[in-house]
Amino acid sequence: MNHQQLPDGYEVLEPFVDFWAVHGTAARDAKRTASSEAQRKGFYQIAKDHVPRALAELDQTPLHQFNEKQTNLMNLLLSFAHVVNAVELLGDGEAKHAKFRAAMPFLRSTADLPA
Amino acid sequence: MNEHTPVYTSPDEAVAWMGTDPIPAKAYYDPEWFELERQAIFMRTWIEIGHVCELPEPGTWIRRDLEFANASILIVRGKDGQIRAFYNACTHRGTQLVEEESGRGSNFLCPYHFWNFGYDGRLIAAPDFNRFALTKEDCKIPKVSVDTCAGLIFINLDSNPKQTLREHLGSYAEGMETLPVARATHFAEYTYEIDANWKITYDNFQENYHLRHVHGLTGIATVHPDNLYGYPTKYTFDGANRTQEIWSNPEPKITPMQGYNFGLAAKFAQEEGVLTGPHARTYFAIFPSFFIIGTPVQHFSHKVYPISATRSRGVFRVYWIGEDDSASKRYSREYALASIHDIHTEDVNIINRAQKGLLSGAIKNIHFMNMEGLCRHLYLNVVKAIDEWQAEQGKRA
Ligand code: FES
Ligand SMILES: [Fe+2]
Repeated sequence: MNHQQLPDGYEVLEPFVDFWAVHGTAARDAKRTASSEAQRKGFYQIAKDHVPRALAELDQTPLHQFNEKQTNLMNLLLSFAHVVNAVELLGDGEAKHAKFRAAMPFLRSTADLPA
Repeated sequence: MNEHTPVYTSPDEAVAWMGTDPIPAKAYYDPEWFELERQAIFMRTWIEIGHVCELPEPGTWIRRDLEFANASILIVRGKDGQIRAFYNACTHRGTQLVEEESGRGSNFLCPYHFWNFGYDGRLIAAPDFNRFALTKEDCKIPKVSVDTCAGLIFINLDSNPKQTLREHLGSYAEGMETLPVARATHFAEYTYEIDANWKITYDNFQENYHLRHVHGLTGIATVHPDNLYGYPTKYTFDGANRTQEIWSNPEPKITPMQGYNFGLAAKFAQEEGVLTGPHARTYFAIFPSFFIIGTPVQHFSHKVYPISATRSRGVFRVYWIGEDDSASKRYSREYALASIHDIHTEDVNIINRAQKGLLSGAIKNIHFMNMEGLCRHLYLNVVKAIDEWQAEQGKRA
């Protein structure tokens, strides 16, 4: 059983899809809050080297023409955008920070719009 | 000998004129004082409530509820393209016309007895209307003054505003028109309600003294030995409004992906023609409780709406020009948004505590040092507005 969820060439990111590749800014913020430090660090360490390549590749296709695999990759990258500060800036402070974030929900974001 | 030339000097003279007096703490929690502010300021000053991109074409409308006025307001773009505002209330027996946040259509149908109002608030049709001793002209919904600057929509609940919006914004109107928000087509939004007086909430964002302490991890890029607190380079004042120029750290400590992500965002800002501009570092504070910051990559506004003496609601918006038209742009915006949200969630957490400590009344005065001069300026203008209002009431009595 090998159900590929990302475009070819991103096998190394497949293990992160189920948890992180979600639609919507608020949902991604909630994933960051729900994640463990190990989950964030693991995702960050593996994904960071692939971000420029993945964006360059996705940029070749208009957003509204993404297939399911491209959409998954996009959502994964968008969740990565939330994880960067948690890992690079906050570190141990992230757990405390997560509590503050719940008080200020995202109500609107361009990333929530259909492309 | 190596003389160190500091990269930063604080603009002390610009704020010295306001003095150093302690500030009565009561103004930050007392319900009677709040009632004065409500009547003297909020019920008759221009209040920012949205952006023209929310009314993209004739027939579109938005609803905004203002707790301080117990009012729900409809802001509509008519067939003629004009933006108008009126109360979300039927002139028959007062029923709210709409519950939705926004919509489009050509009229407002009251769900109770089906009075039908046009986009200018006039009664168009009403069933069995000849049983009323009224003309349709009598049944116009009370209007609310509305105007725009830099794409931002302001309303004034005074039935006869003392100033135009332009007069209220004074010399800053022109500068605000140069900001990206004036061309914005999209925005992200996050909001909060908090147990804090509107000035406590708003003041947090008017001073940088707390940056180092409250944003020690998220705001590390702003810290420099010559300006440990990230104080601004300049202050200006015009009437009840004020500005500061945000300092640019020449040697920011940037982490790897933070640097990559902001690099992407800067590239897009360059393409959109907003990376540099006369006010790319200006923070415009518009009385009573709105500010917008010119920074192009996280171009955000904040509006604080009072609810009671010790409760307020804040609305943050990050404005963008154009839709997300590529994966990279969508990604860079998501990062810019999440990053500024990180900082603001830290602010909201500390504001809560700032209010709690005042409630007992044991603290009689609070203190603003010179680099908290914008907070002092707000207080002084609140007092001035209340004095003026009371003088007017005295004359009327
Ligand atoms: S209250 Fe609106 S039609 Fe009667
Ligand atoms: Fe802050």
